[in-house]
Amino acid sequence: MKKRGFLFGLLLVFAVEIAALIAFAAGDVGTSQDTVAVNEVMQSVRRDWKRMEDHENKTDLAYAVLDAEGRVLFRTEPGVSESVNAAVAHRDTILDLEAEGLVQGKVIIYNEEGWRLQEQKQRTVVVLAAAVLVQWIICIGYAFYLNRTVIRPFEKLKGFARRVAGGNLDIPLEMDRQNLFGAFTESFDIMRSELRKARIAEAEANASKKELVAKLSHDIKTPVASIKAASEVGAALAKEERTRENYTQIIRKADQINTLVTNLFTATLEELQQLLVAPADMESRELEEMLESSDYLHRASVSAIPECLLYADHLRLQQVFDNIFANSYKYGNTDIAVAAYREKDRLAISIEDFGGGVPEEELPLLKEKFKRGSNAEAIEGAGLGLYISDYFMKKMKGDLVVENGENGLRVTVFISLSGTI
Amino acid sequence: MKDILLKTENLSKSFSNGGTLQHVLKNIDLQLYRGDFTVIMGASGAGKSTLLYALSGMDTPSLGRITFGEEVISDLSSDGLAVFRRRHCGFVFQQIYLIDGMSVMDNVLSAGLLVNKDKKALLRRAGELFRAVGISEETQKKFPAQLSGGEAQRVGIVRGLINSPEILFADEPTGALNSKTGLDVLDTLTKFNGQGQSVVMVTHDMRSARRGNRILYLKDGAILGECELGKYVHGDRERHERLSTFLTEMGW
Amino acid sequence: MKKSFLIVRANLCRAKGQTASIAALMLIASLMLNLWLMLSMDYKRNFERYHDKLNAEHVTLALSSDDAGMRDFVSETLEKDARTEEYCIDDIMFMVGSFEYNGGEVNTEFVIFDRQTALNRPVGKIEIVEDSEFTSGIYLPMLYGADHHISVGETIDIMIGSSTVSYTVCGFLNSVMAGSHNCSMSALVLTEDKYKELEEKGFAPKATLASVRISDKTQCEEFEAALKNTVSARYPSVRALSNAYTQVSSSRYISQMICSGIVSAMAFFVILIALVVISSSVINYIQENMKNLGVLKAVGYRSRQIISALLVQFLGITLLTAAAGAGLSYCLFPAVNRMMIAQTGIPYQVRFLPVPFLLTMAVTSGAVALVVWRSARRIRRIEPITALRQGVQTHSFRRNRVPLETTRAPLQIALALKNTFSGIKQNIIVCITMLVLSLVVVFSALLIENMLMDIQPFLNLIVGETADSCINVNSEIEREFLQMMDEEDCVQKVYLYNTVEVRQVGGTALYANLSEDFSKVNNQQLCIEGRYPRYDNEMAVAAKYAKENDLKVGDEITLTAEGKEAEYLISGLTQMSNNLGKDCLLTRSGYERMGALQNASYYINMEEGTDIDAFHAEVSEAFGSDVNASINVLEVINGTAAVYVSLMKIIVTAILILGAAVTAFVLYLLVRTMLNSKKRDYGIMKALGFTTGQLILQTAASFMPAVILSAAAGLAVSALIINPLTAVFLNGIGIVKCTFTVPVGLITAAGIGIVVFTFAAVCLLSLRIRKIAPRTLLAGE
Repeated sequence: MKKRGFLFGLLLVFAVEIAALIAFAAGDVGTSQDTVAVNEVMQSVRRDWKRMEDHENKTDLAYAVLDAEGRVLFRTEPGVSESVNAAVAHRDTILDLEAEGLVQGKVIIYNEEGWRLQEQKQRTVVVLAAAVLVQWIICIGYAFYLNRTVIRPFEKLKGFARRVAGGNLDIPLEMDRQNLFGAFTESFDIMRSELRKARIAEAEANASKKELVAKLSHDIKTPVASIKAASEVGAALAKEERTRENYTQIIRKADQINTLVTNLFTATLEELQQLLVAPADMESRELEEMLESSDYLHRASVSAIPECLLYADHLRLQQVFDNIFANSYKYGNTDIAVAAYREKDRLAISIEDFGGGVPEEELPLLKEKFKRGSNAEAIEGAGLGLYISDYFMKKMKGDLVVENGENGLRVTVFISLSGTI
Repeated sequence: MKDILLKTENLSKSFSNGGTLQHVLKNIDLQLYRGDFTVIMGASGAGKSTLLYALSGMDTPSLGRITFGEEVISDLSSDGLAVFRRRHCGFVFQQIYLIDGMSVMDNVLSAGLLVNKDKKALLRRAGELFRAVGISEETQKKFPAQLSGGEAQRVGIVRGLINSPEILFADEPTGALNSKTGLDVLDTLTKFNGQGQSVVMVTHDMRSARRGNRILYLKDGAILGECELGKYVHGDRERHERLSTFLTEMGW
Repeated sequence: MKKSFLIVRANLCRAKGQTASIAALMLIASLMLNLWLMLSMDYKRNFERYHDKLNAEHVTLALSSDDAGMRDFVSETLEKDARTEEYCIDDIMFMVGSFEYNGGEVNTEFVIFDRQTALNRPVGKIEIVEDSEFTSGIYLPMLYGADHHISVGETIDIMIGSSTVSYTVCGFLNSVMAGSHNCSMSALVLTEDKYKELEEKGFAPKATLASVRISDKTQCEEFEAALKNTVSARYPSVRALSNAYTQVSSSRYISQMICSGIVSAMAFFVILIALVVISSSVINYIQENMKNLGVLKAVGYRSRQIISALLVQFLGITLLTAAAGAGLSYCLFPAVNRMMIAQTGIPYQVRFLPVPFLLTMAVTSGAVALVVWRSARRIRRIEPITALRQGVQTHSFRRNRVPLETTRAPLQIALALKNTFSGIKQNIIVCITMLVLSLVVVFSALLIENMLMDIQPFLNLIVGETADSCINVNSEIEREFLQMMDEEDCVQKVYLYNTVEVRQVGGTALYANLSEDFSKVNNQQLCIEGRYPRYDNEMAVAAKYAKENDLKVGDEITLTAEGKEAEYLISGLTQMSNNLGKDCLLTRSGYERMGALQNASYYINMEEGTDIDAFHAEVSEAFGSDVNASINVLEVINGTAAVYVSLMKIIVTAILILGAAVTAFVLYLLVRTMLNSKKRDYGIMKALGFTTGQLILQTAASFMPAVILSAAAGLAVSALIINPLTAVFLNGIGIVKCTFTVPVGLITAAGIGIVVFTFAAVCLLSLRIRKIAPRTLLAGE
């Protein structure tokens, strides 16, 4: 699991930092002179005393060898103290070199305290800086990781849930089984597809019921008309007042049945129009997000959207776009060009694909219900999409125009600007 | 054709209110003309003051453009707006907003010296304005706390006009005054407008609105309608009728 | 009480920044306070503890002879004296000597013990604080082992008299009365073999050490003088050296004294600032919340409840932060301790000290409670109805300051000045802060100039006379020696500067510095009143001694030395600190009225770049054993002064940082308050077209008059009083008058720095003006 790695990394870096701090705090260990090395220097210098030019430094120490007059006979490297005074100033160790009971010269062992401390300081700073940097990188990396695995899926989920709540069950939830929420999101999508199946089944049942009702209505109307016609004939031929009255009664009742049946027929058709549309103010920049969300296959190129305040129902508008894009995916299956421009008191969003459009005579029918284009036989659908979209737009005081553009079918959504109605 | 002073396109302003966006101004396309006494009316909450402050560069719009001459002021930084305000705008507030710690004269000069480095000319201008609004030299030495409401507002007007602004913005200038002193203030504004000063005034008071030659009616953040009244003439009955009719039409 | 807590919580939430900065101020204050209390209450008592633990003596007398008769005489004298409580006399060796230490050289009188003797003395016992498996070598006072300047296992060359011996350092010792060069004698402990070896070599004479405990330790100095005089009178050829409890205890705690003095001053100032800030924030709170307080009163809160809520709020913060601060001081203490040990040379174990802790808590919370209560009393006078109606009372305007009509100042400056005049309380706080800051700055500048950049003024004050070299020769060869010096090219100046011991009849012992002609000595600032002695019947005496003994210039006192007495006229008062104010100056001829010099110390100024050690070698070669000692003075000074220099460096850094931090806190609070109270004005001005930058500059500029004036005044006054003030600090070591050069250039630069710093800080802090939008002002009402 990456979380464990992250924690471990952070702890490790933290430990390094603490260690560096402790090392720095307790850093004055090892300040004492290495007496063995000093002794080695003394012994080797004494041995090489006669031929100092052949002398070789076998220790880590830096030193200079002076004769009794203060002349430098040997030095391990430039920069070491070369006189007693310089040595004193630098807090070097000065040792007399004795031979045959006489002081022959001096050995000045360079005090390396200063740069050792400096070095340690630098090292500590570098270590700490590196640790902080690593910490940062880990944190940023983890933030990216969290963003990718948690936040973005959730964002997606949010839009998805909203669409499901709005009744749009056509668009699948993109998912990645690798991420933390793979199984979780999958069950969401299963829920969606189940809902969709149920919805379709329900719609089918409804449609068949409606068809039945429409058919029955029609079927009932025919015999009722025959009854009425026959009764009218009967009434005309009736001799007796009483008999004619009976016929008139039959005619009246037949009319009543006719009206009732017509009402029933109309009611079924009107049923679809019970959907609620509640427009409100929204900023045009929200459209970008909505278009992006509808265009889940990323086929559209969207032009800049003019900044303005719109009057629309966010949810329904999203459904409109969903429908338009879904149609385009289904029938056109090409790239999509989206353009936005202001037209008087309305903002127009024109969505055009490159599918060549539909025959001119079919255009007026597309927005009607249960009507589908000639190329739609092979594709599943109810033929309600554009009808509902058009209905939504009208409710938002906007409009939906379907026409053939230069490259294909062009659907233009007109959204009215806030404050203009 | 009148000279366009200030123009807005698509001007919208939203405020975040506890997480939800509240849209106060909606797609306002408006032109203000030089020399006009424009009155912005509307019920409270219609966005009158918001519109005034957006127009005057006191606040930046959420959407849309405001153009003053060639300059697009909706793109300016807050410091740029400050410079714009001091050069081109004068303000008269409902709460008057004089600085308590300064005398009347200093209140006026502190605004004046921002733009005008020529102190003599400035003092002359201040003197003229004070005379014009009827503030005596005695009063000029007083502190705001010692003034009456009407006096304070007239000082406010002098401060607003000290830099000879292209537009004087007045936000309910009579709102905090009684009717007598309110009338004085309105007369003063009318007088300066008569001398060619462009004025934009927000009010919800019909008596004040009558002074304007162009009435805009704001409702729910949009301009519902406007009415051209022509130059103010004192005691013009017909003008009053026309305004009443317009306002009734607007649902006042 | 529960109700009060509600108010407290609301208050704390509203003013997080203010709470934080008050907390920070209190933290610093309690840290300083606790540190000071620990230093002053316990640190010196540590000396007492060790004195008791080692059954240490009150008077030590070292005599350069092991003559049995003399010893008998000493014990007889001691036993005759009723004040003697307990004493012990031991064999030692006793000689002037030196060794390298901390880049310089320690030059002092060595009292050399055999290990066995040292550890088993009934009086004046020596303890080994760090031991090792080395069985043959030397134990040094632990002072030299502090900070690892010298460590165990090293071989150390010690100059004893004029001969050098090498020893392996076996460990370190702690001796109360002979633990460092500050005690005028340093104990060295040799292992048995080495002791014998040294004894045989005869570099140092066999000698006697008498350690005496007396019944009344306040008498120790009189006792010391009397004893030494008695013995010296009887055995004039025996070199005698002594010290006494009072002198040692104060000389070993010089740095502790300086440090606790500075820390206490800082603690006092920081607490003062914190209290002013708390008081102003309470008053501010009342002004800002007049309406709320009215509401609270209207719904039935009593004044007492509201005041107690404020008390709880501030006391809570204070108690928490004071505890934290005291805790923090324990974290800081080991570092301070290490610094101190390098000077005291006495081990100190850091442990929890309940009394300073409780005192810190009590002082801080008591002061805070008093201030809060005093400033919150006005809540009682709030009438609910008037408070609700009026809110904050409008200011009274009697005069229009800086009228724009007539002023010549540019608009921004004029407006800033108006602001300045409207906030008197703010100006007062700024002034106090700036005064403190400038005192701190001047003090630091003084230290930088006189210690860190050029140590000479400090040395003149502390050490007295310095030259490049000091050579002590027997008086027989003086003439030849001077002739040689004349001929040497590298010698610039040579003059006699010899210290002998004399005693005032009826008084204590004094160190007499002799010279033939005091106009030739290097340090001409020794005399702070009157003049140097010129004739043989004149003398100058230490000002501290004069004050203690009620002497003044023109008085005549009788001195005695080598059994003879002579009268001297006091021609001047001097100050020196190396003998803690028991000095006098005599001309050579003046001294010779009492006795002749056996040997003479000459101070020599050398040409730049001369190899002094080589020069010494040359002199030794020329005169052989007639040269008693030659001291490379600079090296000795480097060795001893390094401790003070590093101490001062730390102090300077610490107080500068602290000063800057405190100033920043205060400014933060002031700017905050100002922005809150002027929010409306800033909004209006922004609406009128003032840019954020202009308003920020205006705010910053409004602080400037108070800052500039008080910084200038503060710096000037501090520059004038800093010398006397430092003298007060250093009074304990015999300094009566300081003559440090006050670095005018540095202080001026620092003053400009302060102004620029405050200006920049206020600008930064008032960046919040950016957030004041005209819109919020207009929407707010």
